[in-house]
Amino acid sequence: MTFYAPFCLPFILGAALMFLIVAWKWGKWLWLLPHEDKMRILRGLPTRRTVAAIGEVVSESLLHRRIFRVNPLLGYMHMSLAFGWFLLILTGWIETVAHIGFRYVPLQGHVFFKYFATGLEHKPVFDFLMDLFLLFVLSGVALAWGKRFYSRAMGMHRTTKHVLGDRIALSALWFIFPARLLAESTTCALYGGGSFLTGSLGGWMAEHIGVMPLMTLESVAWWFYSSCLGLFFVALPFSRYMHIFTEIPLIFLRRYGVRSSEKESSYDRFQVEACSRCGICIDPCQLQSVLGINDVQSVYFLRDRRYGHLRLQVADNCLMCGRCVERCPVNIDLNTLRLNSRDRMRNVPDERRYGYFKGLDRSSGEGKVGYFAGCMTLLTPRTLTAMSTIFEAAGEEVWWADREGGVCCGRPLKLAGETDSARKMMKYNADLFRKHGITTLVTSCPICLKVFREDYDLPGVEVLHHSEYILRLIRAGRLTPERGTTRFTYHDPCELGRGSGIYDEPRAVIEAVGQLLEPASTRENALCCGSSVANTAISDGQQVQIARAVAGELEATGADVIVTACPLCKKAIGRGTKGEVRDLAEIVAGALK
Amino acid sequence: MKKRIIVIGGGVAGMQTALRLAEQGVEPVIVEKEPELGGKLRGWHVLFPSFTPAEEVLTALRRRVNESGIEVLTSAEVVGLEPRSVRLADGRELHGDSVVVATGFTLFDASIKEEYGYGIYDNVLTSADLERMFNEGRVARADGTAPRRIAFLHCVGSRDEKVCQQHCSKVCCITGVKQAMEMKKLFPEADVFNFYMDIRMFGPGYEEMYREAQQKYNIHFVRGRISEAAPTIDGRVQIKAEDTLTGRPLRMSVDMLVLLIGMRANDDNARLAEGAGLNRASSGFMAPRDLFLGNVCSNVGGIFYAGAVTAPKSIGETLNEATAAADAAAKYAEA
Ligand SMILES: Cc1cc2nc3c(=O)[nH]c(=O)nc-3n(C[C@H](O)[C@H](O)[C@H](O)COP(=O)(O)OP(=O)(O)OC[C@H]3O[C@@H](n4cnc5c(N)ncnc54)[C@H](O)[C@@H]3O)c2cc1C
Ligand code: SF4
Ligand code: SF4
Ligand code: SF4
Ligand code: SF4
Repeated sequence: MTFYAPFCLPFILGAALMFLIVAWKWGKWLWLLPHEDKMRILRGLPTRRTVAAIGEVVSESLLHRRIFRVNPLLGYMHMSLAFGWFLLILTGWIETVAHIGFRYVPLQGHVFFKYFATGLEHKPVFDFLMDLFLLFVLSGVALAWGKRFYSRAMGMHRTTKHVLGDRIALSALWFIFPARLLAESTTCALYGGGSFLTGSLGGWMAEHIGVMPLMTLESVAWWFYSSCLGLFFVALPFSRYMHIFTEIPLIFLRRYGVRSSEKESSYDRFQVEACSRCGICIDPCQLQSVLGINDVQSVYFLRDRRYGHLRLQVADNCLMCGRCVERCPVNIDLNTLRLNSRDRMRNVPDERRYGYFKGLDRSSGEGKVGYFAGCMTLLTPRTLTAMSTIFEAAGEEVWWADREGGVCCGRPLKLAGETDSARKMMKYNADLFRKHGITTLVTSCPICLKVFREDYDLPGVEVLHHSEYILRLIRAGRLTPERGTTRFTYHDPCELGRGSGIYDEPRAVIEAVGQLLEPASTRENALCCGSSVANTAISDGQQVQIARAVAGELEATGADVIVTACPLCKKAIGRGTKGEVRDLAEIVAGALK
Repeated sequence: MKKRIIVIGGGVAGMQTALRLAEQGVEPVIVEKEPELGGKLRGWHVLFPSFTPAEEVLTALRRRVNESGIEVLTSAEVVGLEPRSVRLADGRELHGDSVVVATGFTLFDASIKEEYGYGIYDNVLTSADLERMFNEGRVARADGTAPRRIAFLHCVGSRDEKVCQQHCSKVCCITGVKQAMEMKKLFPEADVFNFYMDIRMFGPGYEEMYREAQQKYNIHFVRGRISEAAPTIDGRVQIKAEDTLTGRPLRMSVDMLVLLIGMRANDDNARLAEGAGLNRASSGFMAPRDLFLGNVCSNVGGIFYAGAVTAPKSIGETLNEATAAADAAAKYAEA
């Protein structure tokens, strides 16, 4: 049996080209990885991480479990296409083996087996299975068609502007499986075989169409099927469908501990091209839901970055609230990518600007516990006063790092992309902390907290958010606030919750002084206050619009007081409500006897 | 029968409107939510630019209202209005032939600008607090001592997007100059600094006052906004600012920090406007029909405006506008 016919040519060429391009891309990205990352991969290869990665590939790349979690219908669509296709390929291969044993069969032989296998006896089990899986995939294709029209009617994906590669690949993909159905059915019509799908359709054709037209139709259908496949494969590496393959190495690299950082690296390419442009990240974005801005979300950011037309306005227009990160089914490290794009576009360190802090030390007091207010807490002195009351009540000796003014923790600059300047501030503060020999560092600003924990090298110093610190004092009996009847509601600051995983401590503290009412969006799903230092693109008025929406949700709980644990959130939400907004420290200090 | 016109608010604007209406042979009724007439004027000490005692103006206006036999409802808050009737908080309805809205403005709450420490530290006060101290005849620091260094900060709650108040409150610059001069008169040894973004001397005699403040009183004007204030151990207030003319950051300790708070739109403007279909400006103040030929008219026939309800104004401007509003309202009612 020869496994070649002229119509196979588009497929063979397309597949070959695709493999070459994908291999070249991956090869290049891997080659360009920093040395440490290469070592990480080598060290990780012979470990259990590889097994875990394989498991994740099955559950994500094939079954799309995470998409299911977010949106079952979308999950089914992705799964039926990916897993269904995979089953078709796998079963097709087994079928070939069942017919002719373990023998070399060229790729097109497997793919177009139905065409070549007309002379062999029929195996109804396989016919049935293959039809079943084809139906499975076709249901996914139907959903994909539906989604195009339905979601447009629903007002989603307003501006998913497809690039050329996408459009070609998408059109080809839409036709691949209907074409396969047609091709296989015509073959069944002429030679028999097939099951409930191809068999029935073939039977119907045999009855209604003459043999000569059928033969022409058969050859046209197979040519069409092969061309669709070929076209799809050629377009794939240039389209969003590159994610099908790219998610696989991404999963492995991630398991081996490779991460994106504040400077761009070739690992980012894996992340960028692993985005399937599913659009799941659009809905949670408040820039979209409150302000109606819909060309800056992660999906658009990644698209623009991938094709090299990212503009600073788009990179800048993001709160880095992490709401989309929480939902992204590919677990792309969206905030870090955004950050290193900003770094590339804006990092212009100015040496003279930071001369002022050479030798500066305005700290005061003495103690093993250091307190860092941060610029924002200095602008919300009620919090500062409350912290002072708390320290005093607990009998804590405190070293005040910056009560008389100090140097910023560096995170706002880092988030803006000025990472080198930010490093200068970080170094200054870290030196200051070391010089004063503290063992605990407390801050009431989650922005500072995050940078202390992630970017500062502070061996021997435990960094605590004031919510954690206050809770410890209460649990140790060093602080005894009186529990009143006030009803509080709590706003999770992005940098504290999603950013640092601190959700329970502030809640426990609130419950020690009153009743806690949860707003509709809470914990991992909490809204962003809108005034994030990470967004330098929206106006004050727009920030206030978001603050109003957020305050509205908090007020809807019927609470007397809105509590938060970040000076910036407090200021921001205060602009969106006439009600009372307090920092955690304030309500604790107020409840002390 | 005499036409009856309802005047909402009994501040400078409301009183002058009622007086003019009575003069025109119309029967006004003033509805004031506070227990007495006078509005903000009740809280001021001497008025710029002439240093006329506020008491003098207030007493004269009240006396005239009294002598004209104008009907006055006090402790009566208006919660809704239409061209021919207003609704009070206690459920009463008043009827008339037209309405003049003279509900004025609200003082900006300085504690919103938490970074200045108002309500948190001693010796941070607002211009309104200072007027009260002048009236009480006791201007001193919290510990009773005399201030030796005083800072005034312009534009608190005005021209500040961060607190959603984009407009200029117009009278605080000249109030700052006036108060600085009064302080210098009380404490000739003290150093007085005014921190400003722009100095806006819009009225007759104002610029002259500003020059006098510098030349005769040696008051220092520094262009730059104070970014934050913090208490010092000895009970003073440390301020951080940038002198934007010399480009240098600046920090100094002062004995008293006076925040020149702005005039913002009343909160109930929104509700009143919505009920009656009135337009508001983006600042929240009521929007006149147009700024030239209809500046005392609203976009709804039979509803007129007088005074600071449409924008920050001085007392002189308020009085003029009240007269014009009264005439327009009377003409409407007679027609
Ligand atoms: C610190 C400061 C100092 C100033 N010093 C001077 C000065 O020296 N010279 C000068 O020319 N100008 C001065 N001004 C400006 C002056 O205060 C205003 O021009 C004037 O008060 C405007 O008068 P009005 O009647 O429009 O408003 P208001 O004085 O605000 O009076 C409005 C009245 O309406 C009442 N009201 C409000 N809502 C309702 C309601 N719903 N129902 C019933 N009644 C209601 C209020 O209780 C109030 O009595 C100063 C302003 C400030 C902020
Ligand atoms: S970033 Fe994630 S959620 Fe957004 S489109 Fe890409 S894969 Fe989907
Ligand atoms: S991080 Fe927040 S603001 Fe930025 S794209 Fe995601 S959801 Fe939108
Ligand atoms: S709160 Fe401000 S802004 Fe934060 S210190 Fe930290 S970074 Fe500086
Ligand atoms: S009058 Fe002067 S102080 Fe007042 S808002 Fe305008 S510029 Fe600022």
